[in-house]
Amino acid sequence: MYRNIFVSSLVVVTLFISCKKKKPIVENKAYISVSGLLTSQDTLTSYDDLGLKKLSDYNFFKNPLNQLIPASKQIVPYDLNSPLFTDYASKKRFIVFPEGTAANYVSDESYLDFPEGTTLIKNFYYTNKELKTSTSDIILETRLLIKNSGKWITLPYIWNEEQTEAYLYILGKDMDLVLEPTTERTKQIRFSYSVPNINMCKNCHVKDKDLVPLGPTPRQLHREQMLEGTSQNQLAYLLENNMLHNLPTLSEVEKLPNYSDVSESINNRARAYLDVNCAHCHQDGGSAKTSGLHLMYQEQDLYKLGVNKPPVAAGKGSGDLAYDVVVGKPEESILLYRMKHVEPDIVMPEIGKNLVHTEGVELVDAWIRSLAN
Amino acid sequence: MKKLLYILAFLIAGLAILYVVIKSEPTPTYQPARSYIEGQENAILSQFLLAKDSTVIELAEGHFTLKQSLSLDGVNHVTIRGKGMGKTVLNFKGQTKGAEGIRITNSSNITIQDLTVENAKGDNIKVMDTDGISFKHVESSWTGEVSEDNGAYAFYPVLCKNVLIDNCKAIASSDAGIYVGQSVDVVISNNEAFYNVAGIESENSINVKIFGNKAYENTGGILVFDLPGLTQYGSNIEVYNNLVYENNTKNFAKAGAIVGQVPSGTGSLVLSTEGVYFHDNTFKDNKTASIAIASYELIYELGKRDKKEQKEAEDVVGSVRVINDKYTSDTNYNPYPRNIRIGKNIFSNSYLFPTINNDFGKILMIKKPFQTVDVLWDGLEDEASESTICFEKGTETVSFFGLDVLNDFKNATSDVSKYICK
Repeated sequence: MYRNIFVSSLVVVTLFISCKKKKPIVENKAYISVSGLLTSQDTLTSYDDLGLKKLSDYNFFKNPLNQLIPASKQIVPYDLNSPLFTDYASKKRFIVFPEGTAANYVSDESYLDFPEGTTLIKNFYYTNKELKTSTSDIILETRLLIKNSGKWITLPYIWNEEQTEAYLYILGKDMDLVLEPTTERTKQIRFSYSVPNINMCKNCHVKDKDLVPLGPTPRQLHREQMLEGTSQNQLAYLLENNMLHNLPTLSEVEKLPNYSDVSESINNRARAYLDVNCAHCHQDGGSAKTSGLHLMYQEQDLYKLGVNKPPVAAGKGSGDLAYDVVVGKPEESILLYRMKHVEPDIVMPEIGKNLVHTEGVELVDAWIRSLAN
Repeated sequence: MKKLLYILAFLIAGLAILYVVIKSEPTPTYQPARSYIEGQENAILSQFLLAKDSTVIELAEGHFTLKQSLSLDGVNHVTIRGKGMGKTVLNFKGQTKGAEGIRITNSSNITIQDLTVENAKGDNIKVMDTDGISFKHVESSWTGEVSEDNGAYAFYPVLCKNVLIDNCKAIASSDAGIYVGQSVDVVISNNEAFYNVAGIESENSINVKIFGNKAYENTGGILVFDLPGLTQYGSNIEVYNNLVYENNTKNFAKAGAIVGQVPSGTGSLVLSTEGVYFHDNTFKDNKTASIAIASYELIYELGKRDKKEQKEAEDVVGSVRVINDKYTSDTNYNPYPRNIRIGKNIFSNSYLFPTINNDFGKILMIKKPFQTVDVLWDGLEDEASESTICFEKGTETVSFFGLDVLNDFKNATSDVSKYICK
């Protein structure tokens, strides 16, 4: 009896000590750099009438899936001259052409007219340098745009913790991330990354009531990229492989500037930045058409670009400022005010951004100053 | 010495009156009983995300707190139905994604009924580019003491056709409670709007019937506005059988918002617009005026003056629908009200003083002391228009005041007989 009590109390004491020992270990691990990827704790639902349950079900990539190595020549990687800012995430993009099909050129600034059955793939990831504790890049999500019976549909997939699979997940999800400093960024960033829900895709992708692709326009694709081991122009590659028709002479196709390229003028860089980050809504037929602020790269009307233009229905987003852009005065420009905030009723772009893009703010600030010259 | 005492007494009495007048603009609080439940967000969100044509989204009873907007896009014949106002509550307090509570775009024949939407960061329910949108028995509100931090619009159909808002409640919007903008064929009926800056507002909309509503304790009760630089201009608006009373709430709109120009104590305000007909309404105890009729020109000038007064922030305007100094460049826009018809209405006012925290009130205080004004008009007219305002026969007893602001009130008139409808 007494022995039993002794043994059990010993056990309790040991447990207590072991608990005490373990605790500091947990505390020493400063943080988990990614939390919010799918685990066995998440309930996964099949949405058969929307899309396939797993990313691997499409057979786009070889195994292991997270290397994102195309399974065939029909799956062509591409990059853009000026990409959308999404909280510093890197992206790997692919076009999946059905066998024997090709896209048609429409105009330099319009997305290619893709054949029926085309899939556009966009993978959002952070590098292992940015996420200190991981040994390889971490893919958070993969978004698909599929052309089905002439209409585009969107399908969001979220990756699991093991990085072996991504699952169709329509609800959207928040992920807590810690990004380490890089050569461009000097400070560690802790924030919540938001995977949008399936309806939010439409927020940016709807034009004139139809869902459309945004990135793959000739002026965005007009750049060099490593393709089959050699650096080639993406448009030339598509042309050679008979995946693109009716392209004018390559040298005549406009190139959208890369907004990070300091050899370009401030005006060109800022206008490219505003085009890719804002103009998907801020154009005729876009979801911000009622604002009267039009930020397409080719827009020449200063009033439509916001100069001395009062806001229409900005609400708190106006920050008590009078005009979208005040020449020479970035601190009085609503456009910049909204770029500098992340509150949901102020932030621009409205979704997909939880961090202020410091470099973007600096660029647009410089542009507004430069307009005074 | 005696003289000095008199002056002192006079001054004290004056200050006391002033104090009472200023103090009597209340800042109300809306505090319904709630017991919020978290953790239902994904279930409710799924219903919206999976909605297809003809889906009925049934929402259970309960007060649900949500952190993100619920949206529908490109769907037809969809109904969103709760278990009743105050029973099914969607609370967006502290939301982190999206600025609206419910957002519906590019759809047709949508019905929202029997629920409450509250405390969205921006607008509670926004509907855009939709043909056929009905709200029935929906409450849309911001809780707590009213504040400029409340969202702008409780009900916000814009660029819509065939709009019905019936038997709804709009409470505590920092702009307009029931707001219909740039829409065609609109019925706003049997609703209650209170504690908003503007209770009900029809803006740049065509063929609008506003009837059977109660608009009370707002800054302004029922507004009909036409603003420049938008896709269409308003006409053919009938306002009848409404009860509009005690709209004396302090204006808590964000600085520079066009409704920030609405004087507290306004029953109705018509700003420019063609063809507005008021009849069979009851206006009661709206301190400044029961029906005010003004041109955009006046509001613009007043707005400019306010701007100068704010010395520390000279360029401050901004916000919801701002005063637009480019209005003269909009050639399709007419800044003057035209064909405003006043039929039989019941006017009564037990207050002796207008609210004086606004220009209209100050003018009335000086020009019409100890009298109440039923119909107030700034006197600015479109020369080309046949009629600016007219009174139907049998309304000659209406207390009317045309200000003639252009000529420094020189030809100010209270004579209704000059403006009898032909």
